[in-house]
Amino acid sequence: MSSKTKKPADEWLAEKMSGQVDFEERRLGPGDEFHVQYMRTLTNSDIIFRFIVTPSYEMGDVQAFKNYIASFPGTVQPKDMEQLMEYVLKGYVVITIESECYLFEAVKTETSGIGEAINEAIVQGPRDALSENIELNINLIRRRYQSSALKIEMLTVGNVSKTTVAILYDADRVDRQVLDEMREKIGGVKVDILQSAGELEKYITTQKFRVFPTMVVTERPDRVVFNIAEGKVAVLMNTTGFAILAPTIFTDFFTAMDDKIQVPLVGWFLKVIRYIGLFMTLTLPGFYVTFASYNPEILKVQISLLIAGSRAAVPYPSFMEVFLMLLMMEFLTEASLRLPKAIGPTATTVGGLILGQAATQAGLVSNIMIILVSAVAISNFIIPLSMMGYTVRVIKYIIVLFAITFGLVGMVVSVVGLILYLSGMRSFGRPYLKMTLLEIKSKGERRNG
Amino acid sequence: MVSGKYIYYLFLMNALINIINFVPRILVLMRFHGALMAILIGTVVGTAILFAFTRLMSRFQGKGLPEIFNRYLPRVFSVPLLLLYSIFWFGAAIVTMLSFVDITLRFISPDISPYAVMIGFLLLSSICARLSSESILYALETILLLITPLIVYILVKSLTSEGFSWDAVLQTITYLWTKPNYSAVAGATFIFSGYMNLVVFNRNFRNLKTRLLWVIPVTAFVILLVTFLVPIGYHGTVGVEDHVYSWFSTADSIRMELFIIERVLFLFYTTYLSLSLFSMTIHWHVGLELFKGVFRSRHEKKESKKGDWWILIPVCIVTLLLMSFMNQVRLAQMGQWFLNIRFANEFVLLIALYIANKRSARRT
Repeated sequence: MSSKTKKPADEWLAEKMSGQVDFEERRLGPGDEFHVQYMRTLTNSDIIFRFIVTPSYEMGDVQAFKNYIASFPGTVQPKDMEQLMEYVLKGYVVITIESECYLFEAVKTETSGIGEAINEAIVQGPRDALSENIELNINLIRRRYQSSALKIEMLTVGNVSKTTVAILYDADRVDRQVLDEMREKIGGVKVDILQSAGELEKYITTQKFRVFPTMVVTERPDRVVFNIAEGKVAVLMNTTGFAILAPTIFTDFFTAMDDKIQVPLVGWFLKVIRYIGLFMTLTLPGFYVTFASYNPEILKVQISLLIAGSRAAVPYPSFMEVFLMLLMMEFLTEASLRLPKAIGPTATTVGGLILGQAATQAGLVSNIMIILVSAVAISNFIIPLSMMGYTVRVIKYIIVLFAITFGLVGMVVSVVGLILYLSGMRSFGRPYLKMTLLEIKSKGERRNG
Repeated sequence: MVSGKYIYYLFLMNALINIINFVPRILVLMRFHGALMAILIGTVVGTAILFAFTRLMSRFQGKGLPEIFNRYLPRVFSVPLLLLYSIFWFGAAIVTMLSFVDITLRFISPDISPYAVMIGFLLLSSICARLSSESILYALETILLLITPLIVYILVKSLTSEGFSWDAVLQTITYLWTKPNYSAVAGATFIFSGYMNLVVFNRNFRNLKTRLLWVIPVTAFVILLVTFLVPIGYHGTVGVEDHVYSWFSTADSIRMELFIIERVLFLFYTTYLSLSLFSMTIHWHVGLELFKGVFRSRHEKKESKKGDWWILIPVCIVTLLLMSFMNQVRLAQMGQWFLNIRFANEFVLLIALYIANKRSARRT
């Protein structure tokens, strides 16, 4: 080992890793001759036990054990401290024998128990999803974020369930205020049973009445890593395959992980499409009520006539029609979600056929309404994160209500109110809706202000 | 704390909103009696006030009018002044609300109850006025970014339309060298009043030094010319006075041939309604904060939101009562009064700030 540095490698490493919960240190051998250090979550304990722990007691002789360790094909001797750290974070075991350092390969690559991300599926890019085992998840994240700045803090929440909760962050980039707030809030959670990330998210938000999610709940380790690198705090939980990310702002809910993989132009296009989808799913039903019942003169004559013509057989006012169809659509979505895979398609086919064909022929709803409802449903599914998708599903009813009572005025009032409401929200002290596009020029100012 | 760019947004909001606050009406009535001259004078005077005001306000970093007045002026002056300005800001919002309710009834839904529309406006402004100043500024930025392209589109559409008569515009310009009266100048300076909202929003600005402040007079001049001349181009030099809301009638004369909405009026109405709602909310917010400032003692620092509804509900009731005996003539009259008083009031505010500034300099 290099003689330039005054401190021995093992002490240096121990000091560097002092805050890491998954860093393990052991003295082995009959006379504690061997100093072993490794990251618990990154190494295979079976290998360590079989090839290091057992022989270290059986051999007894220091020189023999040294030779034994050096004989493994994966064993290396680090050139400097950086390399040492790099290998430790890869999952190597550091064995220090008589102030000589060996890096023993005991990398744990988890493949079993890791499923594919289903809820946030993407076209290209990594497919791994978080598992329900917290150690495994930390392994997944450590493997993607090989920096000693990545800190993990473990807590236990739940009087009965005793769920292990881990707070992950990059010590160099994280916003200390957010971190302290997060620690304090998780520490203050008093429940008996804690089983899912969504529950935890509910307990740690301060707002009494909330409509929009202020934290992302994700199942993708790559999203977690990406957000940690941005200086956010991630919370992992045992027994659930989801992580919580905070602080989260409105626009975060409209980024998919493959936006980065795409050509920039395509990435932008996809983003714009999502916002258009958001606008459509929120306002289309309201606009239909406005145009059909309040202000048919807004549209071109031909279109107004078209709507009126298709509504000719419908015996009740437009808002009844809208509510009926929207409700049916919600039922369909929910039904196809809960039903077992084998019956799922049946429900959609039956529902789609009956609602689409028969309802219009019977004169219960207009043709245009069917098209509109499908457009609303489809544009709702464009939103990449399902939490926001659910919120938007509810918000559109509020806008419809405004449209029913005030017509066009109600539409504008509700949209303006929505923008004001979103701007008034804060996620861990960060403004929830803010146009960051124009901030590029004044970066210094943003940091201060 | 927010960056300096939000001053421009405050300005832009007022500049765009002037169309519904009876400014075009006053200018159009004065079109043969010095309206153009008033625009020129108004731009100069408005710019002067703007610069003086922002300079004075930048001396009091991070402080709003209530803090400044309570600290540096004797209580005999600070209380009535704050009360006056609070009423004044509520008044500004009320004028906007009343005219927009009138516009809604006239152009969009004649069969809806005016009280229903008014209650909708009041609810939105009252609830949203209680947000923090910072949040309101963020929201303002969002809405302006969404709306400005639409307004530019409407403007381009209106200037390129066949129905626009440049002759009428040129003829109006021949009346340039006429002496304007006070109300015309007062109307023309309304466009600059956006920065007046700084009386409360100054709390959120760290440094008011803005490099591009000259953009404001240029933009203001162009917007004023457009405000005044476009309706004349559509309705003719004489016919234009038949319209109370000349811009809405103008927008109704423009047609979008290749879109699902044919009449530009609806696009115009939607954009301006959202802008007006913002203006109402901001004025409501400023009025509320000033009013709370009356009761705040010299040393109390923390903002409290407890008593908000005790102020807002009476103001809402007053608004509804006012509406009950308002008709179009009275409303136009009130709008004009408002603009006249506002102009004089700005000078009073400047003087008061100047004195406060002197006293603060002496104290340190």
